[in-house]
Amino acid sequence: MKIKEANAGALTNFEVLDFLRSRGASKDPTRVIVPIAPSEFKVYDYLVESATCNQTKEHINEFLERCKKYKLAKAEVLNIINLRPSALVEIDPIIEQSEKRFGDQLEELVNLVVEVLPEPPTQKTAEEDSNKDKEETTDEKNMDGNETETANNEQIDEHETEQTEDGEQMEVS
Amino acid sequence: MFYLSLIEHTLRLPPHLLHLPLDEAIKMELETLFLDKVIAKLGLCISVYDIRSIKGGFIFPGDGASTYTVEFRMIVFRPFVGEIIVAKLKESDANGLHLSLGFFDDIYIPVHLLPSPSRFESYPNNRNQGRWIWDFGEAEEAQSEEPRFVIDGTDLIKFRVHSVIYPSIPLEQPEDSKPFAPMVITGSIDYDGLGPVSWWEEAEMVQDES
Repeated sequence: MKIKEANAGALTNFEVLDFLRSRGASKDPTRVIVPIAPSEFKVYDYLVESATCNQTKEHINEFLERCKKYKLAKAEVLNIINLRPSALVEIDPIIEQSEKRFGDQLEELVNLVVEVLPEPPTQKTAEEDSNKDKEETTDEKNMDGNETETANNEQIDEHETEQTEDGEQMEVS
Repeated sequence: MFYLSLIEHTLRLPPHLLHLPLDEAIKMELETLFLDKVIAKLGLCISVYDIRSIKGGFIFPGDGASTYTVEFRMIVFRPFVGEIIVAKLKESDANGLHLSLGFFDDIYIPVHLLPSPSRFESYPNNRNQGRWIWDFGEAEEAQSEEPRFVIDGTDLIKFRVHSVIYPSIPLEQPEDSKPFAPMVITGSIDYDGLGPVSWWEEAEMVQDES
């Protein structure tokens, strides 16, 4: 074996995921039929859970075009695409001497990342859950005493019903 | 994290594969030889990306197989120093953390690269295993029972690649020693934004509220 070129080009996580998908990798149970090695599926399983799972070539090309003005190093761009940092605290470890080099522009860069690169579904659900929790707490605060009482009564009624063998609701008196 | 590497290899194609199209048969043989194996100074072989050229096809005397010289590109996993990677906690002991990516398990975060000040809290039933706790803002924590910044494996962990080493194959190995790892990644979480993801989600929420 002869290594002709150790680094014939860096690949983003998206490119590897896209390559594995093109070969037939998916979350589908039919994966046993696909001519892909188990080790490749492990890589696929890792990447499909990462921030790159719903990126497209268009997203990446647009980001590469729009981030040129920031004069980022190739490694930094690669890291940003792979991780999709959506806050200052997330982008800070990726960019070397971020304060010195960018200052206030750093927030602008984060906004660009959030705007251009799509949000992974896992992140969406987490944010939705936190928003729901916030809404619920505010609703509870706004409720009057009477409303809370009726809500409690409704809960009691629900608990007092049992299911018959047929699956019908049966009231327990 | 992933790179393309151009490799030239001379391989023997067994006769039972000759009924297949040549490039398909060669690809299968290359996958058998390289996939999920570490090549020193190159990285972990993930997949055969494409075959650039196939030369030869000689059958040597006394051999029933044809021999080809193949030039191909391989996707390899070789993180660069300074790269940020997201991994899962596999094990936590007094020496530090052991992380895993699912397809690669030899990632270690030693004690000196954990956020300081950190302390180790061993489990009562297993003295070797335990959890690491980052003692940040101790005054606040003194009021609450449960420490806030715990590394317990419920979260994904972001770490920065500190070094990638390819240890030489040992001639002898003691019976009770760990299995030989041909590639070892040492990581660091001693920086803002690194460590369990939830630590910094909390920080963001606090920032948003203010």
